[in-house]
Amino acid sequence: MKDLKQLAFEQKSAISLLIVMSALRGAAMIGQAVFFVLVVDGVFIKNSSFEEITPFLIGLLLAIIIRSGTGYLIGRTGVDMAASIKKQLRLRLIQSFKEDPLLSSTESHSGQKVSLLMDAVDETDGFFSKYIPQLIQSYIIPIMLLAAIFSQNWTTGLIILVTAPFIPVFMAIVGKRTKEKADEKMVQLNRFSGTFLDILQGLTTLRLFGQGEKQKEKIKESSKNFRDSTMDVLKSAFMSSLTLEYISMLSIGIIALEVGLRLVVFDNLTFFSAFFIMILVPDFFTMLKDFGSAFHTARGSVSASQMMNEEFSKERKQVEWGDIELPDGKVPQLDIGHLSFSYGQQFELADVSLAIKPYSKIAVIGKSGSGKTTLMNLIAGLLPIDDGDILIDGKPRKEIDESSWFKQLSYISQSPYLFAGTIRENIAIGVNGNPSAKEIDEAARKAGIHELVESLPEGYHTRVGEGGRGLSGGEKQRIALARAFLKKPTIILFDEPTTGLDLQTERILQQSIAELSRNATVITVAHRLHTIRDSDQIVYLDNGRVAAVGPHEELAANFTPYQNLLPLQTGGAMR
Amino acid sequence: MSELTHVLKLTLREKRDVSLAIVFGVLAGLASVALLASSGYLISKAALTGQMTVLIVIGACLKLFGLGSAVSRYSERLFSHRATFTMLGNLRVSFFERLSPLAPELYSKYRSGDLLARIIGDVESLQNFLLRVFYPPVVLLLVFMGTILFTVYFSIYTAILLAIGYLLTAVAVPAYFAWRKRRRDWRTRESRGALSAEAAEFLYGFRDLKIHRQLAGKEQQISDLIDFYNEEQRNEGKEEVYSQSMNGFIALVISLAILASGAYFTAAGELDGLFLAMLVMISLGVFENMAPMAAFPSHFEESRKAAVRLDSIVDEMPRVKGSSDLPEGGLSISSRNLSYVFPDEQRPALDDVSIDLPRGSKTAIVGPSGSGKSTLLAVLMDILPARSGQVLINSANSEKFSQESIWQSLNVVLQENHFFQGTLRSNLKIADSKANDDQLAAALERVELGRFSLEMDVEEKGQNFSGGEKQRLAIARAILKKGEVWMLDEPVSSVDSATGQLIYERLFNDYPEQTFIIVSHDLTGLEKMDQIIVLENGKLMEKGSYDELMRSKGYFYGLKEIEQQVMA
Repeated sequence: MKDLKQLAFEQKSAISLLIVMSALRGAAMIGQAVFFVLVVDGVFIKNSSFEEITPFLIGLLLAIIIRSGTGYLIGRTGVDMAASIKKQLRLRLIQSFKEDPLLSSTESHSGQKVSLLMDAVDETDGFFSKYIPQLIQSYIIPIMLLAAIFSQNWTTGLIILVTAPFIPVFMAIVGKRTKEKADEKMVQLNRFSGTFLDILQGLTTLRLFGQGEKQKEKIKESSKNFRDSTMDVLKSAFMSSLTLEYISMLSIGIIALEVGLRLVVFDNLTFFSAFFIMILVPDFFTMLKDFGSAFHTARGSVSASQMMNEEFSKERKQVEWGDIELPDGKVPQLDIGHLSFSYGQQFELADVSLAIKPYSKIAVIGKSGSGKTTLMNLIAGLLPIDDGDILIDGKPRKEIDESSWFKQLSYISQSPYLFAGTIRENIAIGVNGNPSAKEIDEAARKAGIHELVESLPEGYHTRVGEGGRGLSGGEKQRIALARAFLKKPTIILFDEPTTGLDLQTERILQQSIAELSRNATVITVAHRLHTIRDSDQIVYLDNGRVAAVGPHEELAANFTPYQNLLPLQTGGAMR
Repeated sequence: MSELTHVLKLTLREKRDVSLAIVFGVLAGLASVALLASSGYLISKAALTGQMTVLIVIGACLKLFGLGSAVSRYSERLFSHRATFTMLGNLRVSFFERLSPLAPELYSKYRSGDLLARIIGDVESLQNFLLRVFYPPVVLLLVFMGTILFTVYFSIYTAILLAIGYLLTAVAVPAYFAWRKRRRDWRTRESRGALSAEAAEFLYGFRDLKIHRQLAGKEQQISDLIDFYNEEQRNEGKEEVYSQSMNGFIALVISLAILASGAYFTAAGELDGLFLAMLVMISLGVFENMAPMAAFPSHFEESRKAAVRLDSIVDEMPRVKGSSDLPEGGLSISSRNLSYVFPDEQRPALDDVSIDLPRGSKTAIVGPSGSGKSTLLAVLMDILPARSGQVLINSANSEKFSQESIWQSLNVVLQENHFFQGTLRSNLKIADSKANDDQLAAALERVELGRFSLEMDVEEKGQNFSGGEKQRLAIARAILKKGEVWMLDEPVSSVDSATGQLIYERLFNDYPEQTFIIVSHDLTGLEKMDQIIVLENGKLMEKGSYDELMRSKGYFYGLKEIEQQVMA
């Protein structure tokens, strides 16, 4: 909660506005009571005429307007403050996601991150829009009210001073007890409330097994158990708030009695003072209780804030870049020297050295988890290098300009991402600026997707991606190829699909990569024997290290693990 | 409001709890008004008289009302929450009853966990219906009526003003703001949807964005959307503050009017000044009960939307099918010109597929991913309806048979098989509730899971088992079901190949008479099948035995060649 509070108090102008408005509101509350009492006192005790009390009524109207107006402004300020802090949090989260080196290499947890950005941030709303304004009011207004009460009758003030502290103390005890009770029942509650979801999820299975009907009873039963456990928790919460309410009622009662006694028996209190006190005292206790419920709202924000802090406090390493521009269209020599990368406890790649000549074809092979994808991401400049170097035509990559590097690079992954938009936009994402329709047609033709696109009613304007037409895995691959044809990169990283695609895509994939490789270096995480065979060099990774490098003939002759792979490949008995 | 009728009906089924909650709610409200009224009266009376007895009587009243109000409030909360949770249970059951007939089709049509998350969320959010939508206006109405009746005795003007105040604060203002909220609500939702979609793209497509140097543009887009969403939320928040302040202001103005009229009539001698303070205090007190109404518009809108969404999910009428039972004994299944199109897609997932699966035959359905293999299986097993063409069971149109009777004869293993929280035993018994432990253990033995105890805990969605283990458990469940026709959708894709082959062999040996239809993306071991069906893009490319297909060097041969090239 401390972090959230700090965020709130950084909003200095909002906080000062809240302070001023709270003071005004407190004054208006006192004013309202004064005028109420003056009117009643006037006509009832002093037998004034209606004309005589009219100014008080006007004063009362003013006090009411100020009270409501400041209440409105306080609420608005809270909403404004919440909005600007939420915006700040969201921007920070986006920034933080962007700097997460793993984001580019894995797609996992993306769903969680979206929910962090949307839901967790929204959950902090109550803290800023409700709790903070209430907190400030609770610091200011009760003290003002208390001072007003003291000015009229110091004994009442004393009674309040003695009884009021019970409220926050009790509030704390209540909160703690309820939380304990809830924690105690947590497992049970989760299980009961999970049953419904469990059954809904398994409904197909249940129906196929002819068990649909029986589940009604189970839902009923678990709902009933859920209700009873929840009521147990709630009962203790309600019981505590009953006590709380009773304390404030009791205090009001004591005060009423005291005021009454002094009014009747000792006759040392005016009607004005007595009535004034009786109006202000309930207000005073309501303020305290409101704070209690706002505190409850605030607690809901805490876990959301913790999740965000976890994200913010993640260790970040950045890929380093410089400002040397790479010449356009020149295929560079790549020299990888003693490259290492690890993340957290995981050790992913160690001491990889490799010289990649321009226009060469490299196949990276190895078991899953051997570090193939990590190597690709390091070469691509998507992951920061821990140790070692990648030289591009002799220049360390960290001295190269980021944009000019990516301009030379295409990465065709196993599941290329299609953005929400038209097919044309998805192909054109490969280049900056606005490629002509002819260029896009050309690229699509080379990638073997032109005919299919033309056969669609809306052609290149067909919407794909989220909320658009679904494309098959093979078609997505071809869109990615079209992107590469349009971009004309000098370095291509290609993650060959592990599962068989449709025959047409398979054929196109081979042809296209061959054609692209005429003007580029191609590094492939290879799963197909022909790709491996056709490579100039094969890099065999084992457990994050290079176990062997060389052309097919060399490895086939000398390297046992590679030899072991081969009969499997040619013999036809796949598994 | 009509959208909420169903929920209202379910709520009112809990007559006792709901009426008790209302009674105590009204008592609590009236007691709190009475408390303030008596304190107003006490002071006025005390100012005039020196009698201690009056003071003591009223003082006692004060205590009584205070205690009464607090205790009633406690009971009110207890009963209203109990009613709410009972209602939620009823809602779940009633929703389940409507969803159950539709579920298999819905789930495979929309293939998303989103649907379920939405259902659960909507059902939960309806718990506010009684507590914050239905119940506050009713209780307030009764509290106001009671209060107004009491004040009529002292001052008709006060009574009229209170009635006006009620109409304004409990009816007019909430209705007005609910209406406004409804009008602009879609904008907040739309901006939220847009932001969340862009954020998902940013995260899922991060690598492509980065390599294509589009990251800055996307970031700008997201930050614009953050602004947009934020503005909408800000407006929404302000609207709520506005509605709240408006209500509070009207309440205070009404109290002012009561004071003014009271003062006027007191000055004119038509009202005993003794009651003036009391009437003012009554007004202040009764409007304090109005607080829950401030949140009414948003809760009303939320409940309404949740109810509409839930209804829209189960609104589809279950498919009208015949109710005949399948004939006893083995089945032969065929399809004629079968097509299927998923909702919101133009391209058919199945396009004019005609196949024959004779009784006792073993058929494999193969093809690249997305070629329609699982869809074909789903239509054959009557989970999805054919868009056109038909499925024939023993030469009769399958439309005349009930789903239950078709499913009863099938042993199904889907790609996603659900396991319920409980034990292994409870999960296996779904297939056969009468099976004894020996039979269950034997089934486990058949899938090489004999080492598992039946007592083993199964966690949510079976997450304590590996993918391969879950597939084998699903097969064990299918074994226990004792149907005639096996429909298996990539049943051993996560099982190591030796065990996979072993399980297949056992199944084929144990049930030589039965029909097998197996979807597979793995082309090995298909020599044993009687028939291989090859799909691409929803179309039937080829069918025939392994040898036939290899000889004809067509599509299957091509796929096979690629597979030999691929090393996983």
